[in-house]
Amino acid sequence: MINLDPINLDPLQHSKPKFDLANLSDADTSFSIEQLNLFYGDKQALKDVSMRIPKGQVTAFIGPSGCGKSTLLRCLNRMNDLIDNCHIKGKILLDQHDIFDRSVDVATLRRRVGMVFQRPNPFPKSIYENVVYGLRLQGVRDRRQLDQAVEESLRGAALWNEVKDRLHDNALGLSGGQQQRLVIARAIAIEPEVLLLDEPTSALDPISTLVIEELITELKDKFTVVIVTHNMQQAARVSDNTAFMYMGELIEYSDTNTLFTTPTTKQTEDYITGRYG
Amino acid sequence: MVKWHKSGSPWIWLTSGAVSISLIAVLGLLGLIAWRGLIYFWPATIYQFDVQRSDGQIEQVIGEIYDSELIPAQQLRDKGVAVASDITDVKSLLVKTGNREFVELDFRWLLQPTITKQLIPLDLAVFERLKNGNFYGYIDSVTVDGQSFSGDVAKLMPLLEESIARANDLNDAADALQNGDISAINYQLEKMRLQQRRLELDNLFSDEKRQALQQSRDELTAKYLILEKKLFTFRDATKRDFVTVRDMRGELVPLNISNILDANLPNQMGIFSKFAHWLSAMGSFVIDDPREANTEGGVFPAIFGTIFMVMLMAVIVTPFGVVAAIYMHEYAQKGIVIKFIRIAVINLAGVPSVVYGVFGLGFFVYILGGSIDDLFYPEASPSPVFGSPGVLWSALTLAILTLPVVIVSTEEGLSRIPMALRQGSLALGATKAETLWKIVVPMASPAIMTGLILAVARAAGEVAPLMLVGVVKMAPSLPLDTNFPFLHLERKFMHLGFHIYDVGFQSPNVEAARPLVFASSFLLVTVIIGLNMTAIGIRNHLREKYRSLEH
Repeated sequence: MINLDPINLDPLQHSKPKFDLANLSDADTSFSIEQLNLFYGDKQALKDVSMRIPKGQVTAFIGPSGCGKSTLLRCLNRMNDLIDNCHIKGKILLDQHDIFDRSVDVATLRRRVGMVFQRPNPFPKSIYENVVYGLRLQGVRDRRQLDQAVEESLRGAALWNEVKDRLHDNALGLSGGQQQRLVIARAIAIEPEVLLLDEPTSALDPISTLVIEELITELKDKFTVVIVTHNMQQAARVSDNTAFMYMGELIEYSDTNTLFTTPTTKQTEDYITGRYG
Repeated sequence: MVKWHKSGSPWIWLTSGAVSISLIAVLGLLGLIAWRGLIYFWPATIYQFDVQRSDGQIEQVIGEIYDSELIPAQQLRDKGVAVASDITDVKSLLVKTGNREFVELDFRWLLQPTITKQLIPLDLAVFERLKNGNFYGYIDSVTVDGQSFSGDVAKLMPLLEESIARANDLNDAADALQNGDISAINYQLEKMRLQQRRLELDNLFSDEKRQALQQSRDELTAKYLILEKKLFTFRDATKRDFVTVRDMRGELVPLNISNILDANLPNQMGIFSKFAHWLSAMGSFVIDDPREANTEGGVFPAIFGTIFMVMLMAVIVTPFGVVAAIYMHEYAQKGIVIKFIRIAVINLAGVPSVVYGVFGLGFFVYILGGSIDDLFYPEASPSPVFGSPGVLWSALTLAILTLPVVIVSTEEGLSRIPMALRQGSLALGATKAETLWKIVVPMASPAIMTGLILAVARAAGEVAPLMLVGVVKMAPSLPLDTNFPFLHLERKFMHLGFHIYDVGFQSPNVEAARPLVFASSFLLVTVIIGLNMTAIGIRNHLREKYRSLEH
């Protein structure tokens, strides 16, 4: 069932970049980050980050712990709003609209930009209720529509076959890998434009990791995917573009093949060859 | 020794010892209360004593042995009682002699040496009466419908029992009539009086309305007269039979059957009939109304009042406490102000409860209740409706008293919900309020229930503040009845805790009331445990449902 096709595991044979990242047109851009600075109190966590994230591709953020990659990811759906002393300078445009604009409703933004966290966090409800949670929030009542969404999302998250007979069992009875796929299903059920994955496999075993990675490459057909990962092989395997961050700065950003084969900066080279990190 | 100390064993012994002592104390307390309370209902053996009086004459005393005590002989000699010089202690018996209307005290102490003869006669009878407590004596004759029967007790007993059953049925019917239809009519008449008064106050009392009111009043009065007649026939009918009893003075005393609740011969009873009697006595203690200034009969209104008030309190305190905790934990900006408020809330829990009672009387009863009366019940003036102590004010006062407990445990519960779950919900486009109501509060519900359990435990045991805001010795009617609007929150109520205090310390007959104190205490503890068990059951159910917290 798990596709162990070696092509998928070989970074050098990875799909060719569709876009030129340096000159990305507005129409092909999902997020456009401009001069982003982020402070936790006095401490600066992101320094002058500017980048464009292309639509319909998988973009990975890599870098050592504390480099700000998760912080950057959390800016994209304004999860940092929850942190009391966090303030932000700069702009993030989603389809040419500033997401920090006062007119933007955070809940609507998060509906467009879904997120999956490091540890699986299913709600203590049934599998079914977990998947339809976002839809119910949007006021969907129609039973048939909900049933259909559950099946589609669970199929989309490669979980349907495992849980179709126990949709009304508690989601906490699933294994860690299944829970993480359930959380992905929950996120794609509301059909976001972008899916943010914050180290989605770091709490999972290798087999579950493979399943999720497989899933990510499938997801990019429908969504723009942004993934943060500690694991360089994973970034190489699943992503089209990779951004290397270090100490809150964006050091290098290019298509994955280029970054892993011919890094332009010394820091990137040191990191991907394992000299520090 | 040093090695033993290092092994940690002394610490284990110390801690387990502390637990054991606490357990023994609690179980001992419960055991004592249960034993003293429950033994009261067991049919006691009745003795007949021949007692030598100081003038040398022999006196007959009939009764139950209630208690015994050793009195130092010297003390008696000082009082002028002749006691042999070689005796140091004299056993003294407390005997319940009943027959309250014929003796000065229905309890008396008998010195063991003065008792010349002690018998357990099989045909001694006990009569439990509506008034004047128990009566002890030998059945001489039974008069049924003017026809007198005498002879063997075994033959008279069925006759007597039949007659008592008939009288009790009639009394029950009369009570039902009085508390049902007749009280409903009185309630309606009072309503009409208030309606008329209200119309008069508003200057809307036209002749037309006067006539309409007068007409319905006449109808009700006519109905009332019919019912009253019926009531009197019932009451008269109960007075038909009587039983003549030879008491301990040797005199024949006629007892009217209408005054007798139960008659039996405890000395003839086997263990099983005693057990049956014990069960039925406990049952009637729980479901009957009190009699004789609360020293006899049951405690049903007190049980009902306690549970009703506590539930009302729970209904009030839960939403307030939960909402307050949610604001403090979820919305309020963290800072010095919220810290101060939190400290204030915790300190509120330490304020003596009687202070809450004074507050409740001053604020709820006089200010709030007084305003309600002025605004909505001007027709009842000068007699207060809500402006006097009542069950609503008691529940509110106790709600304030227990509010800190609910707030603190709800906050604790809220802070235990993992951040990951909140973020998961927010990331799906839920607003903060939606996350709260769909994820956080349901998951915190076991903690909320814990707070409620503590609140209920505290409130059910609280008496002092209630004495100021609503509890009375004897409430004529329950706060819940069949008269519209069924719930009468302005009424005063009875409470088991206050009942214990009242029976134990305010009763004219302390000896008679003592076992009742134990029985009521046992019942109060049972009620509190019952309420807590229910709440714990609900909490465990919720816990099972939201198990994820243990991850």
